[in-house]
Amino acid sequence: MRLSLHVKVLVFVSAAFLCMGLPTCPAWAAAKEPIKIGFIAATTGNFAEFGGGMVKGFKLYLDEINWTVAGRKIELIVEDESTNPAIAVTKTRKLIKNDGVHMVAGVFLQNSGYSVGPVCEEAKIPLIITNTGSDDLTQRKRSNYIIRIQWGAGGELGHVGANYAFNKLGWRKAIVCAMDYAWGHEVAGGFQQVFESLGGKIIQKVWTPINTSDYDPFIPGLNREADGIIDVITGAATVRFLKGLKASGHKWQVMGPGQVTDETFLPALGDAAEGVYSAFNYSAALDTPGNKAYKEKYQKKYNETPAYSAALNYTAAQWIVKAISAVNGDVENRDKFLKALRAVEIPDSLRGPLKLDKYGAIVQNQYIRKTEKVNGGLQNTVVETYPGVTQFWPLDPEKFMKQPVYSRDFPDCKFCK
Amino acid sequence: MDFWILQAFNGLTFAALLFLLGGGLTLIFGVMRVVNIAQGTFYLVGGYIGYTVISHSGNFYLGLVASCAVICLLGIAMETFLLRDLVNDDLRMMLITMGVALFFQDLCLVVWGGNPLSIEVPKYLAGTIRIGRINFSTLRTFMLGAAALLYLALWLFEKKTRVGAMVRAAVDNAEIADGLGINVVLVRMGVFGLGALLAGFGGVFGCAFMAIYPGLDFELLPYAFVVVILGGLGSLPGALCGAIIVGLADNFSKALIPELSYFSVFAPMAIVLAWRPTGLMGKS
Repeated sequence: MRLSLHVKVLVFVSAAFLCMGLPTCPAWAAAKEPIKIGFIAATTGNFAEFGGGMVKGFKLYLDEINWTVAGRKIELIVEDESTNPAIAVTKTRKLIKNDGVHMVAGVFLQNSGYSVGPVCEEAKIPLIITNTGSDDLTQRKRSNYIIRIQWGAGGELGHVGANYAFNKLGWRKAIVCAMDYAWGHEVAGGFQQVFESLGGKIIQKVWTPINTSDYDPFIPGLNREADGIIDVITGAATVRFLKGLKASGHKWQVMGPGQVTDETFLPALGDAAEGVYSAFNYSAALDTPGNKAYKEKYQKKYNETPAYSAALNYTAAQWIVKAISAVNGDVENRDKFLKALRAVEIPDSLRGPLKLDKYGAIVQNQYIRKTEKVNGGLQNTVVETYPGVTQFWPLDPEKFMKQPVYSRDFPDCKFCK
Repeated sequence: MDFWILQAFNGLTFAALLFLLGGGLTLIFGVMRVVNIAQGTFYLVGGYIGYTVISHSGNFYLGLVASCAVICLLGIAMETFLLRDLVNDDLRMMLITMGVALFFQDLCLVVWGGNPLSIEVPKYLAGTIRIGRINFSTLRTFMLGAAALLYLALWLFEKKTRVGAMVRAAVDNAEIADGLGINVVLVRMGVFGLGALLAGFGGVFGCAFMAIYPGLDFELLPYAFVVVILGGLGSLPGALCGAIIVGLADNFSKALIPELSYFSVFAPMAIVLAWRPTGLMGKS
């Protein structure tokens, strides 16, 4: 009998679905089976450098423990989210249903975080976010299954930056120059709230479209009375904005989230980065024994300068391994494992002490860095350490979560003309 | 007043860059009747090659020449090996240019990595020129001059030389031009190379003042399309007008009402197309 093409396709597709539904590891074999970690990162496309860094950092730590915890092997399954949250969701489903992973880690994009979160929650699989912000996943939309161990919340970087700008740099009037989407709104909104609560004034807000190719038109219109600019123009665009700012012969000081002067951009930024302040939970120039050892190991294995994401994911792997050994390898007992994930503390990580708050977000040191020329090359020298910063610092969590999410119009610009 | 002069200057320099991108696109469309999706790619690869040569040799002009030469050859090779047999089948040609664009996008990522790169320009180009109370970026002024000269040269070439006349003939009616003994195949190849060269030239300057990075090719492509559609497909003076209009409109809308800049690029195009469906200087 000859089957028509339609029938063949139908049979094939249903067979494929059936296979996907089959449990991949029977429970009785669990103890000997490896522990499977699904890892989502942007390993191709625009963010390949950072996504690749995530994987490299994560693997570097697993190398150190020989890919074994509590007598069980670790199997890492890396999937590429590219630059698309829809792909991230498909890949997460694949990791959970086909590969039967015990947990999902990674995630690069802010919007991927928000779309992968519910998928893991529905499947009751722990999600350990190691890069993206997606603040609300540990605030208003928090879940038992999600923890965030990365550079903190967008608003948090703004809070810390504002504190330093007001108290140490003596800013009283500032301009917001930020990308017009969630990330820019969060950092700039956080900055404004703390800056104005201390007594400073935001006198101008400029929201630049994400796809801006030339920033020079914005620069002559910036208010000359301001002491400084809170700059949330990140990614490759930071090079264009800071170079334009430098060429304008400005007198403002600049403060931004760490991504503005990330180590990977410093060669392209050149002189334009000198003197820029930034708030971040890591700097390659950080002077801790852990960081020194990590940099040497990284250099030896990959022979390149690590992106910030590598260091973050190195500690993330350390975190997960600690949680696994706390439950003695029994990750199948999900409740116990989730509790262990939240109970981890690393007092001596390469970027200082780490633990979680009760909402599942990381509490860590935030550093104010100043970009300086040292021995001919640029580096982000740490000029101030804010220990034990939470995602809400210095605001009250309950009050914070009652106010609206930082946006274009919140907080309102009272002092703008 | 200073504000307006500076903004107009910024707008014109952006227009110069857009002209380099759109001019090549319009030339190629004129003779090939194909919308070359790989035009942004020529710009990107040109910038990367310029970066590599300049960072190794330290000579800005050598990088410019090398980039133009390589991109020109790339264009010629693409025309010869991929497009020539498909002339008159515009959909397939366009899909091939799309394929080339995607191929080079990933190739660039492998070769040059994902970080943005920026060219060190010579000292005398790096600073600013002060006229009255206003600082003009030297590099931008230089690029504006270079693009203007290039336009003049292209215009003279097209209008005043014998080869230019052959190109015009091939644009107007390829079959009759062929019948009159003009080697249309050669003309197509040459013009494709020239169109690519313009983008490579723009890429080196673009790399110096805006940096280049993966994804830039498709970021700039819509601008180039708007420029060309606004000016009229296939018309070089049209591309110039289109570039100036888009450059200024984009700049002033960003400076005055940033919220509008999402749409300011496309508004002039919509208005012109409603009034003249073939663009400002296009032939019906």
